[in-house]
Parts: sequence; structure tokens; C-alpha cells
Amino acid sequence: MPLTYIDIEKQKTWRIGIFFLILLFMYFCVTFALLQGIGMFVFPFVFMKTGGIPLSGKPLYLLAIFGSALFMAAIHFWFSASDAVHVVMKSLGATVPDREDGIHKRLLNILDEIHVVTGNRRIIQCMVIPSLSMNAIAVADLKGNAAIGITEGLLSRLSRDQTEAVLAHETYHILSGDCMETTVATSLFGIYAAMIENLRNLGDEDRHGLHPAFFLFWLLLKLSQLLSMFISREREYRADAAAVRMTRNPLSLAEALHMISRNWRGSSLIGSGLEMLCIMNLKDDASDESGGFWSDLMSTHPPAGKRIDILLRMARKSIGDLEKQAEKTPAVSPGAPGQRFFVLNQEKKWAGPFSAAELASLPWFSPRSWIIRESGKDVRRAAEDTAAQAIFTEISGQSSGIISKYHCPLCKQSLIGQPYEKTRVYACRYCGGVLVDSVKIPRIIARREQECTERIASLAKAVINDNQRKLSLKRLKGAGNVSTPLLSCPQCHNPMMRTFYSLAYLIEIDRCGYCGLTWFDTDELEMLQCLIENRIMAALDFSQP
Amino acid sequence: MVGWILFALFVLFLFWMIYIYNSLVALTNDVKNAFTQIDVQLKRRHDLIPNLVSVVKGYMEYERDTLERVTSARTKALSAAGIHARAVAENMLTHALNGLFAVIENYPVLKSSENVLNLQEELASTENKIAFSRQLYNDLVANLATKRESFPNTIIAALFSFKKAEYFTAEETDRSLPPVDSGRQSG
Repeated sequence: MPLTYIDIEKQKTWRIGIFFLILLFMYFCVTFALLQGIGMFVFPFVFMKTGGIPLSGKPLYLLAIFGSALFMAAIHFWFSASDAVHVVMKSLGATVPDREDGIHKRLLNILDEIHVVTGNRRIIQCMVIPSLSMNAIAVADLKGNAAIGITEGLLSRLSRDQTEAVLAHETYHILSGDCMETTVATSLFGIYAAMIENLRNLGDEDRHGLHPAFFLFWLLLKLSQLLSMFISREREYRADAAAVRMTRNPLSLAEALHMISRNWRGSSLIGSGLEMLCIMNLKDDASDESGGFWSDLMSTHPPAGKRIDILLRMARKSIGDLEKQAEKTPAVSPGAPGQRFFVLNQEKKWAGPFSAAELASLPWFSPRSWIIRESGKDVRRAAEDTAAQAIFTEISGQSSGIISKYHCPLCKQSLIGQPYEKTRVYACRYCGGVLVDSVKIPRIIARREQECTERIASLAKAVINDNQRKLSLKRLKGAGNVSTPLLSCPQCHNPMMRTFYSLAYLIEIDRCGYCGLTWFDTDELEMLQCLIENRIMAALDFSQP
Repeated sequence: MVGWILFALFVLFLFWMIYIYNSLVALTNDVKNAFTQIDVQLKRRHDLIPNLVSVVKGYMEYERDTLERVTSARTKALSAAGIHARAVAENMLTHALNGLFAVIENYPVLKSSENVLNLQEELASTENKIAFSRQLYNDLVANLATKRESFPNTIIAALFSFKKAEYFTAEETDRSLPPVDSGRQSG
């Protein structure tokens, strides 16, 4: 008899309650042991004489410990968690959805529907993370803000029903307070872990060696971490059940989870501290799927197979049906393994390491960004690094549209605003070139509505082989022929950089470093999409010049 | 001594009664609110339809009767009175709209037009919201019924006459969906 979603929700809630009490008890023990340790350090003479700490054992002392632990935790927690939504979203580079983009507008509509079905209990924002990986994250903070972040890769590949199921799952995490609890747990563990590290460092210098109390509260800390992970797994099942209750559609959630589990989930983009807030764990290794006792203990999420199995039983379908459907769509991978880079972001902080594909999806990345290769030490501009140059693509529109204020850099005629892959681009009627906003490039690459025709495919192959040959010659012989004069940006009229989209995909583009617009000549955008979709590459030489 | 205990018990009993009464009040109001929310979504659908009709009218010269059906169904839905009559009118409107969308499939220019796509998306979203608001209403009615009918609460509910709320059910005609009439077989 398949378990209905209501039963699953009730069962998991009850277990979560019990385990949370145990967790609370453990927090107290850890604090107690920690303060014993501090007491030992602060009152070494008393300890060595009597083997105990002054005042320990008196109930007032215990109460004082509890009170001060709570106080410290509250302060730390307040500072770290009060604005967590803003901080987390900013660190992921998430942006507000674009109302003019067809798929983003659909996302906003779906979020409205979720608000209707939950009775508007809490206003939740949604943000889009410009990464080609597939994952969704939910954050809530003390100020009352709540947000769901969803990656472009996921947004562009899910159908309407599947997006709704994913959003319902994340919404339940927020509404049931899971996100708040997770933020609490993370901040509290942060204090203890930091203090233990400091004490351990001091303890090592002590002539008496490591005191058993250090071991004790290290053990307690590990146990409470394990318990917290257990709670987190039960929560995931409960959120799955709640998503089914909201949408009454277990099949679409199963399909969405299946799709996410087959693909890259952003392991290098989303920090490990945020892992508990995502819909599926970030690591790709197979141990999570085995579902054995040990792997079950050490993972923040239940095995995807088990989750999908429960949902499919509700929908009366088998996993074989899903597999057959999934074979039709290609998988997303983090990109060719190899060169990874650290890049200086807009806050002048080093971010990374990113692979070439991930660099491509960062909206602020430009040829003038400073980067360091993972294996190297020199800091240089992305423009000067041969392996980092290529990640800008643009999208062009088709058929009739609105006349925009931009003019074609080649023909000097007005550009027409057109829809392409459900987003807006500006095309020239005369030469067929396209002007695209650089932030829209990741989503255009992720979307697959545009067919890759024979003509485009063969043209693309010819172009990149030709460009590869020219590039190799240029490297061997040094800077040679004079190229045509640089185009000027249609918006700010500064000269645009002419560069390849990437060394893997040698399509020439012009990009304006000031206003983030990219210009593609005729067919270049389709060629680029075709190349990336089909992973066609010219024979490349990555050795240092 | 016994007097004090009895007094304490009586006070506890009073508090419990107040608590149950208040939660019944809250649930009843939730149900009323959810019922009006359905109307909000229905009205939004009424407002979107004239836009859609005006956009497609220019292209669909031979489909006048389909458009007529949609417009008249909308007028009937706006003017219907009473819950039952309104539910029937809204169903007719849904059928008429489905017919219109089926016909639009035959016009490739319309099918890829940005305006029509946006309107279709908005209408689909509104249909979903109507369904979700009905679902929420039914869930809240169930909550209220459970609270009213559980054992100690039945006393209070009867005492203060909290009324039962009606579920939103599908019409008998809905359960066996009629085939969508697309007017034309091929474009």
C-alpha cells in the first residue's frame, strides 16, 4: 500500500520533533563541556590541586553556563542570520527575474500560483542564479525575508509543472521554518567549531598533552552534526510530501528530481555551507546513492533514488518510464575538465575556482577581469590569458519586432527587437547580425528551442577549424596581420573588444566592456549555440605559448 | 481545599472553551476569505479575455463563431447570480476558451506571436490560480470540519452554532469532459 503524502508528512514531523529535543540536549552538553575546558585553562592551579573546576556542580553554575551559551549563540546568530537572504543571494550572483523574458515571467507567474495555494502566508521572492548547473536553494532570515534561488540551467530545462513542483518543495522549506533552523544550526556550529579549534591549538602547547575533555566535546560536536544531518534528511522527505500536497502532481516532482540527479548540480559554485538549503546535494559521487548505513549517516540529503521511488509509487509509474524519457535530453556537465581559474569579482575579492563554462555564465566577467589560473601564479587580465577568452555569446532575434534605439555597428541602420529563445535580442535587418545583453547569454545557451540545422552545424565546424588554424599560425609567427577596425558599441559608442567566445568555441564576437552588450555577426549566435549543444570542438592546443 | 481545586478546574475549563471558540472563529474566517479569493482569480480571467479576443480578431476572419462563443460566455459569467449559476457559467467559459486555443493552433503566425504567447501564458497561469484557490478553499473547509466535528469541540460548536461550510465540487457534467470543439479540422 503506497504511503500517502499526508502520512509521510505527519510521520517525519514527529520524528523531527524528537530529534530536535535530543539536539537541544546535546547543545547544552557541548556548551557545558566547552566551558569546563575553558575553566580548566583559566583556573589551572585549582584544577591541578583538586581535579575539578571551582563552582562546578552547583545548579546556579549550570544555569549560568546555559544562559551565557544562549546569549553568545543569540548574538552570533543575530549577526550572521539577520540578513542571510541578501548575503547568500549576493554571493551566488543571483538577480531578480527579468519581466521581459518569457521563461522568467513564467517563473514569476508560477510563484504567484504558489502564493495562492499557500494562502499568502508569507511573501517569498525568487531570484535567478546565472549558472548552467541545475539546483534550487531556499533561504530565510530573521528579518522576515525569504527567497528561493533557482539556477538558469534548471529554469530553462524544466517544464511548467516540474518548475511548480520544485518551487513548492522549496516554499515548504521556508514555510515550515526549516531554513531558519538550518541557519541557526550552521551559526551555532560555527561558534563551537571555532572555539574547539582555538582550544585545541592552545592544548597542544600544554605539557600535559591533550586533555580528555577536548576529545569529549569534539565527540559531542560530531554527534550533534550527525543528528543535524539526520534531521535534514527527514526534512527533505517531508518537503517532497508537502510539494505533492500543494500541486497534487507527484510525477512532475519525480521527473524534476530525476533530471537534477543526472546532471551537474553546481558543486563548485555553491559553497558547502549552503548545501543543506538546496533541493539536492551538490556532490556527484556515487556513495550518496548507495543508501547504505554509513552513507546515509554522512549525507545531508536522502538518496535521490529513494525520494524518486516514493513519488513514483504515488503516481503509479515505474522508474523505467522516467529513464526512457530522460534519454531524449542531453546531460549537463561542468564542462571540459582542465583549466580552472580564480577571478577577481566586482567587490575586489577572489572568487572561484571556476571552469571555463562557469566563467561563461558569470554576468560580470569581461576580458578586462583579472584572473589567475588554478595551476599558475601570475595575475593577468582575462583578455591576455589564452585559455580564458571565450565565453561571451549573444542571441539574435528573428522576424518582425520593435525598432530599438540601437544602430547596427556595421550597417548603421536601426536594430529590431526580436524574441529569441523566449528572450529579447536586437537584430539588424540588413546584415543579420545580433546585439545581445551579456547577462542573457547563459540562458540562451541553456535553452534548446532553436534547432541546430545542417547548414549551421557545417558552417560552425568550418569557421572554428579556420579560426583555429589562424590562431595557431598567429601564435607561431607572432602578432601579424592588421585586422579590420574595431566596431563601436551601439549604446555607449566606445570601441568594442573583438575576441573569441572561448578557446574551445572559436566564434568571433565583439563585446563592449563598458555596457555589457555583445555583438554577433550573421549566424554567429546560432553557430555558437549549436557548437555548445553538440560539444563540437576543433582540435585544440592548450599548451602555454 | 476541594473548593480551590474545583475552582482551578473551572478556570481551566473556561480557558479551554475560549481557546476552542477562538480557533473556530479563525478557521471560519479563513474559509470565508478563501472563498472570496476564488472570485479574485475569476475576475482576472474575465479581464484578460477581451485582450486576447482583440489580438486574434484581425487574423481569424473565418472563426467568428468561435470568438462569439467566447465573448458571450464571458458576458454570461459576468452577469450570473447565485453560486450554482456562476459555477455553470464559468465552466462554459472554460470550454469556450479551450475551443479558441485549439483554433489558434491552426494559425502559425498567431502561434508564434509574442503577444498571443504572453496572453496564453497569463491565461494558463490564471486557470491554475483558479484551481489552486479552489483547492485551498477545500483544504480549509476540511480543517474547519475536522475541528468542528472532533469530540470535545462539537459541544462548543453546537453551543455557539458554528456553521458547516460547503465543499467546492466538480459539476456532474465536468467529470466526463466533453470533446473540445475546434470548429475546423485543418488550417
